[in-house]
Amino acid sequence: MQTNKEENKKNNKKKKKRKEENPHLGFTINDNPDLLMEVLHRLDGRSLGVAACVCKLWNSVCTTDSVWEALCNRHVGRMDGCDDGGRSAVVAAMGGYKRLYTVCIRPVRTRLGNRVGNRAGWTRGEIQLSLSLFSIDCYERLNGLGSGSVGPSSSLAFLHEPVNVRIIMY
Amino acid sequence: MKREHPDSGGSGSGGDFSAPAAANGKSKCMEEPPDAGVDELLAALGYKVRSSEMADVAQKLEQLEMAMGGIGGGGGGGLGFCGGDEGVVSHLAMDTVHYNPSDLSTWLESMLSELNAPPLPPPSASSTASNHPPPPPTEILLDDPLAPAESSTVATVDFSHNRHGHQIYTSCPSDYELKAIPGRIVYGSDDSGPDKKRVKPSKPSSATTVDPPAATSSSSTARPVVLVDSQETGIRLVHTLMACAEAVQQENLKAADALVKQISLLAASQGGPMRKVATYFGDALARRIYRRIYPSEDLSLDWAFSDALQMHFYETCPYLKFAHFTANQAILEAFAGHSMVHVIDFGMKQGMQWPALMQALALRPGGPPSFRLTGIGPPQPDNSDALQQVGWKLAQLAETIHVEFEYRGFVASSLADLEPYMLDVRPSEVEAIAVNSVFELHRLLARPGAIDKVMNTVKALKPKIFTVVEQEANHNSPVFVERFNESLHYYSTMFDSIEGCGGVAANGGGGGGGSLSPGSNNQDQVMTEVYLGQQIYNVVACEGADRVERHETLMQWRDRLGSAGYAPVHLGSNAFKQASMLLALFAGGDGYRVEENDGCLMLGWHTRPLITTSAWQIGRTRTSDDEPPISGLTRPESDSP
Repeated sequence: MQTNKEENKKNNKKKKKRKEENPHLGFTINDNPDLLMEVLHRLDGRSLGVAACVCKLWNSVCTTDSVWEALCNRHVGRMDGCDDGGRSAVVAAMGGYKRLYTVCIRPVRTRLGNRVGNRAGWTRGEIQLSLSLFSIDCYERLNGLGSGSVGPSSSLAFLHEPVNVRIIMY
Repeated sequence: MKREHPDSGGSGSGGDFSAPAAANGKSKCMEEPPDAGVDELLAALGYKVRSSEMADVAQKLEQLEMAMGGIGGGGGGGLGFCGGDEGVVSHLAMDTVHYNPSDLSTWLESMLSELNAPPLPPPSASSTASNHPPPPPTEILLDDPLAPAESSTVATVDFSHNRHGHQIYTSCPSDYELKAIPGRIVYGSDDSGPDKKRVKPSKPSSATTVDPPAATSSSSTARPVVLVDSQETGIRLVHTLMACAEAVQQENLKAADALVKQISLLAASQGGPMRKVATYFGDALARRIYRRIYPSEDLSLDWAFSDALQMHFYETCPYLKFAHFTANQAILEAFAGHSMVHVIDFGMKQGMQWPALMQALALRPGGPPSFRLTGIGPPQPDNSDALQQVGWKLAQLAETIHVEFEYRGFVASSLADLEPYMLDVRPSEVEAIAVNSVFELHRLLARPGAIDKVMNTVKALKPKIFTVVEQEANHNSPVFVERFNESLHYYSTMFDSIEGCGGVAANGGGGGGGSLSPGSNNQDQVMTEVYLGQQIYNVVACEGADRVERHETLMQWRDRLGSAGYAPVHLGSNAFKQASMLLALFAGGDGYRVEENDGCLMLGWHTRPLITTSAWQIGRTRTSDDEPPISGLTRPESDSP
């Protein structure tokens, strides 16, 4: 946060300069991280990944879990009868929504979306499946199996392998 | 390979040719006095060829092939034969009188002299007809290009890598029949593409032409025509395997020995899953043959090793995950509304099933129950307490997700040693009990009375649900040959499916995070195959109390459980959907099928079911529809996007 403040000061100075030079320039998004957070909450997964590469501020926003939680929760809506707060706690404990998305939801979505055609929304079943797989991932990571904190654990490696389309002729 | 050629040449002789003209041909057979100096290998198969004449016989066979001409097309030909050359073949089929095909050299001479009379079509690749040593009188030759007539048990051995498509094989346990082999065997030729399969009609009309796609149907009297390519060595391989099993059953160890050696040769010529399956079965047969000579070796594996193998199996293929997810769904539904739950796992291994259940319990509305787990496992040879370690890992996960967790490990060398009081269950008003058995019950069939004892023990525990996952096959027949053929079919399908999902990963390793080195996925696949290979050895080579892989089909388990006082619980549509989605994630996902069979879920590869999950309770039948929907996780309505 320290570097952000310093950068903000520098940016503000530059902006003031530019403002003086060019009165049409006004507000920039980096001035207001909360607004930035609001905007980024509405992005999809791929865009979030891209956004994380823009600058340090954006990166820090994009790596907070709440953005990814918004992403995961947005399409599913409220899972009836299921306590959202409770779910957040559990997922956070198991490794966070960002990891849930990258390790489980995204590959599940990709592979299943390919099969059933272009569905805009996610289904509850996909989320359940992803959560089950995520719990296995968590279990293995807790016990030192798998490759460490970055890649998926060994049981989930099958989700991350390149899928070739093979034509089997009979 | 030198042996191969005369052998193939020998069986390349014609089959049962009908006598002239009559509606039912008859063939005449003249007996000849047995000769000395006859080649042993062929004699074991019913042919009499003098060793001195081998080269001569081979040469004549080649001439015969050339003369019979363009039947089936070039060196890697397909399955049908040309309509065009129908004339020659039908001539041979109908008009010629053949005597004693088992005496190859005289028979060949007669054939060649016959063929020299009609005009010879341009020579091209070879053709053969199969041969049955005692020719049944009503045979009509060369009708059906494909498989022999018996009922099919050995199924879809996958020749996809040869790109010639499926062949449905049939078991012929009654004799040593081997397919006729043409002279030029092209090993491992993949290049004969689909065009070779097609019939090349130069004379379009023919009375006896059979289309190649009619492969799956065979008239009961058809003789197969097999054309040159590596596919037919596959056919030979299957037949040799079955012949060897037959020999073993009849205690004809000399023949069995000869055939086993052939198997390894033939297996080397194949590629892909067929080769691996054949190698394992050949090995298993060899072990069975030689154990009569040598004292029985200890085929049982160190438990830690077999656990590790099962982990590879878990990671590579969806079977265990399917089992776990479907069983968990049933258990979750049974636990609805209870605040204290207890799961008893008959085969704890690494405990991979339970994280998902704990997560689902943690997320259920109303919060998680207090969760007790009793894990049962075999004694470890090195006295390490694997059960406790697994329990510790699960406890860590439970703590992470805030589920109250209690664990107890229980060592038992056989499930039949368990008594209800040992498991310390609380009364059923207080806690809901689930008993889970994944691939454990069939082992109990090795000892008489064990399975009944376990059934009674489970009943005494009064579980809310008893989930059973078993292989879907009958590998427990008292007749060895039946067992052999069944397991050949089953494991061929299994190996095919592994090829389907494991093979993809061989390219370049993991996509994200660099988690796996390029070679390791292949290693996973290999270890999975070793795991299955251990089962194959057990089914084929062991007997009595050692043979623990006594798989039985769902029907058999239904009978057993039904008569023990259990009623089936139907697995809901949610389990079905989860299972389908899980399978769709795997690279070979198109090949896997989930089927629902009267409340039980079966996972299979293409048309063949391989494992089955079923759920049981004591007393009357109920379905999951009777339960009020309690959590978003189990509602059977369609998912809304």
